Order: sequence, then structure tokens, then C-alpha cells
Amino acid sequence: MRRPLSSRDWFGKASAGLVLGFLLALGAAGLFKILAGVGETFFSTKGQLAMWMMAPVWALAVSLCFLFRSGLRAWGWLALANLALWSLIALLGGLAA
Amino acid sequence: MKLPTDLVKMYKEIHGWVGIVSGLALFIAFYAGAITMFEGPLQEWASPPSRLAPAPSLQRTPELVARVLAEHPEAAHGYTVHLSIDAAHPARLSWSDARGEEAEHGGGTMNFASLAPDGSLQVETEGPSPVARFVDVLHQQVGLPFDHEIAMPIMGAIALLYFIAIVSGLVVLLPSLVKDLFALRIGRNVKRMWLDLHNVLGLFSLPFHIVIALTSIVFAFHDQFYAAQAVAFGGPERPDRGAAVEQAPPRPSLPPAQVVSRIREQAPGFTPVALEYGSSPSGEAALRVLGGDIRFAQRGPDFGAAMLDPATGEITQSDYLPGHQDGWSAAITSFFALHFGSFGGTPIRWAYFLLGLSGAFLFYTGNLLWVESRRKRERKAGAVEQSRSTRILAALTVGVPLGCVAGISATVAAAKPLGLSATPGIHSAIYYGVFLAFVLWALARGAARAGIEQLPAAAVAMLLVPIASLAAIASHPLRVWAVDITALAIASALFIAWRSARRRAGAGPRDSVWALPGSGPAHAEATQAGPA
Repeated sequence: MRRPLSSRDWFGKASAGLVLGFLLALGAAGLFKILAGVGETFFSTKGQLAMWMMAPVWALAVSLCFLFRSGLRAWGWLALANLALWSLIALLGGLAA
Repeated sequence: MKLPTDLVKMYKEIHGWVGIVSGLALFIAFYAGAITMFEGPLQEWASPPSRLAPAPSLQRTPELVARVLAEHPEAAHGYTVHLSIDAAHPARLSWSDARGEEAEHGGGTMNFASLAPDGSLQVETEGPSPVARFVDVLHQQVGLPFDHEIAMPIMGAIALLYFIAIVSGLVVLLPSLVKDLFALRIGRNVKRMWLDLHNVLGLFSLPFHIVIALTSIVFAFHDQFYAAQAVAFGGPERPDRGAAVEQAPPRPSLPPAQVVSRIREQAPGFTPVALEYGSSPSGEAALRVLGGDIRFAQRGPDFGAAMLDPATGEITQSDYLPGHQDGWSAAITSFFALHFGSFGGTPIRWAYFLLGLSGAFLFYTGNLLWVESRRKRERKAGAVEQSRSTRILAALTVGVPLGCVAGISATVAAAKPLGLSATPGIHSAIYYGVFLAFVLWALARGAARAGIEQLPAAAVAMLLVPIASLAAIASHPLRVWAVDITALAIASALFIAWRSARRRAGAGPRDSVWALPGSGPAHAEATQAGPA
């Protein structure tokens, strides 16, 4: 029997969306920088686009994190997503030395 | 569209709570933002005639530049040559005492220079009105009187809540979308009408709201975003703009008149309005030209820009030059332009003005609905007396929006009598004085009485704008009369709202937060059902 969704454990879900969602957004920007070949100059227009990407990813994570059944699940799934994303970035050699 | 009921119920609760936390701040941001669509015209309306001698011609400008640099060497750090002279830009040449970050956000004392008829240098620190800029900052900081560094993260948090409100509101509306979309049920059920209005406003301006929410998140957090990227992916942190190199740049060799003709050659269709002489972060002389091209979106609220070689006038960087951008730059520019409404000229400005006002109204109706649904729940539970929190929230829903509207009206109108002695501090004191008076008054008197008393007060404050224009007409000729006409129109709307509020207080249900104490017909089921 599935537990119905509720706004009761909003804090667990929202904090996961806020913290891990930010890391997802940062990862998305990092992946874009690798794929678009941005390099180290932030103020190139591609670098600016990488920064802009963070807003929609973060905002969507914070808005949709309530769809998880519980705060614990939100933290778990978003952590897993982060792990996958950041492993890919590390594999492609995008991390700071 | 079918959605699970538990999902819709959850998002309905979330929508209510994020809305109630952010709604009043968003009202201020949207109302002030709507006015900021016409920041330029408003500044021209509010700026008193200058004491400066008429600006020298562009051909004589090198003489003015030479005199300013000789008598005020600090101006060499950065000064602006204005190509179009009007009330808001009375001087051919201006410079600011501020450096780096402060200058970027418009701080510091501005100096305006001209040549007197006898050829001597004339410098003034008073001139263009600061009131339009004050309203702009109020918009950026969602009405908070704090430093930029403190206000911006709060604004960013509000913008995130606002985005959650958009997503959750959409989820709540989707299941009944087809049924509710074209229904505006105006009638006995006032709550139903407010809800229909809230849905219609929200849905039809949805793309605008998504754009504004996302761009505001970037405007609030861009420094943090760049810093986090620097930590994660390496590269230099964003350079500290406060630590500009101290050496004065060499004087530009090409006179302004020639710079203008060089720009016209290279970018036909682009109308330059100002030349900003300064230095690059590495200390070399730099020249930036500001201007517009009606055919393209613009990076700034009013203008696009290009970097020129000061010695030759050649365009060295066209990332922000309208019509000369590559796909990446044009994409970035579109984000800014969609927030600023800086594309398509005046019709888009008016469209954004109306979208901004309807956004403010959307948040106001949201607050009303929160109060109304709380009221209903309490009645079901048997309590007829409204709870303290509902009463306070109802009072704030009246006092904050009307205080903001009246405060901005009063401080804008004050620009005329203040004239050249206007400062950002005085305008700020007037705004917050009126705003706080309205909020405290609403809390003391309750929503019903305050609404009836403050609507005409806000309308009268709005009327002060054209009254100030007429009173100062001798010393301050009437310019940009559209400001006065718009103020008259909004004042009329406020008077009409006053009439219907009075009717409602007298005839509406007695247990409403809008009912005046001791009035209204007895509401049989609600008030008489309890034990006698």
C-alpha cells in the first residue's frame, strides 16, 4: 500500500531540493562547460550560459522534490543523481585539480 | 488532465504557504518593476531644470574633457560623454566618485560638467532626479531597505519561492483547466470570483512569470553561481572589481565626434547615446559605447553596448552590440531583454507595464484567497471570531500593497517640490514613512476599516503626482505628461475600488474579515447555529 503524498514532511524534501538540487545545477553547468569547451574564462558568452543554466535546474529541483514519497527518499534519489552526474564530470576530466 | 488527488492536495497546500510567505514582497517587486519599465521617462519627468550652462557641441567637447581632467584629475578613472542631452542627462560630461562594485550599482556622487559662456569650467553635483533610480532599487530589493549584499539573497529566496508557487499553482489548476479556463464567475460567490480571476491572470501570464522568476534567481545569485563553479571546476574566481588598477589611463586620442562617425560606419542602425571612457581591469584605456537599435533585443534595461579601441574607434568587442552578436551572445541577451522588456520599443514597455501590474494584482488576489479560505475553515470549526493570525494577515494584505502604492506616489510627487535638493535619502525617508504609516494603520484598525480608509488615501497620494506637476509648472516645465495621465488613471481605479469596498463592508457577511464591526445583515447559518 502506497503512502499518499503529503506536505507534512516538507522540510526533508525541500532541504534535499535546495542542497542537492544546487549541486545538480552546478553539475549541469559543469557538464555543459566540458561539452561546449568553455575553458577557464567565465565571461565568455558560453561561460555565462553555463551560469544561467543553474537557475532553471535548481528551481525545478526545489519545485519537484515534493514528488518524492518522503524526505529520506528525496535525499537518497537526489544523492544518487548527483553521484552519477559528478562521476561523469570526473570521468571527462572536468573537476578542479 | 487527470492527476492523483493526493498530489494535487499536497501542491495546493504548498502553493498556499509559499504564496503567503512571498506574496507581499512580490507585490512590491512587481508594482515597482512595472513603474521601472518607464524609468527613463520618469527620470525626465522628475528632473528639475539644470543650473548648468547649455552643453557644448560635440565638436567643442575635447575642450571640456581637457578642462575637467586638468581641474579634476580623479575623473580620468572613468567619465561619460553624453551624446543626447535632455533633462535627465543635462551635461555633456559626467563622472562618479564611486569605484568598482559601488559604481556598478550606481552609488557615489555624480559630477556634471559644462562650459560657462566665458569658457570656464562649471561643475555641479546636483541635477537629474534620483527618484526613478530609487523605485528601481526598491523593485530589485523587493521593497527591503537593506544593503545590496543583504537584500539580494533575500530577493533570491523570494524568487525561488515564487518559482515553486508557479509550478504548484499549475499542478493545482491542471485538473480543472478545461472547465475553469474561460470561466469568470462574477456573482454572489466572491471567493469563486477571486479564484477565477487569480487563475486567469496566472495562466495567461505564465510565460512572463517563468521568465521573471528564473532571471531573478540569476540576478540574485550570479556571484555565488560563479564562485561555486570556480571551486568545482577551477579557473580564476570572478575578478574583484573594487581593486581596479590605480594608474590613470592615457587620454583617448580620438575626439568624440569622430568616435561617433566611426561607430555609424561600423554599425549602421545603432544609435549611440553615451561614450564611457575608463580603463580595463588590466589598466589600459578602454572605451565603451552605449546605445540602442530598435530592431534587436538589448542586453541592458535601456541599451546595448560595444567596446571600442579608444585610439582608432574600431569595434573590438560586439558581444552586447544589438545585431552584431553570435548565437551564444544573442541567447544571453534574450534572457536579460525578456526581464527588462528591452526589445520591441515602446509597445513592449507598455505590455510589460501591464503584465507587471497584473502580476502585482495576482499576488494580491492570492493573499485574499488565503485569508478567505482560512476564514471558511474557522467557521466550519465553529469559531466565528477570526483568529489573530488571520486578522493580522488580512490587515497586511491591505496595508502593504496600498502602503507601497501610496509611498511610491508620494515620493515621486515630492521630486517636483524638492527640485535640485532631492537626494536618495530624502526619497527613501518619504517612501518608508508613508509605507510604514499605512502598514501600522492597517494593523491598528483592522482590514475592513483600513481598506475603506486607505484606498482613498492611496488615490489622493496618486493625485499628488499631477498636482505637484501643476504646482511646480512655473519653475519646472511640464515634460512627459504621460506620467501625470497614468497617475490620474490609476487614482480613478483606486477610487472605484474604494466604492466597491464600502459596499462590501456594509452588505457582505458579518463574519468576514472585511465586515465592519457592528454592521451587515445577520448571517443566519453561520452566526446563529451555535448554542444561544
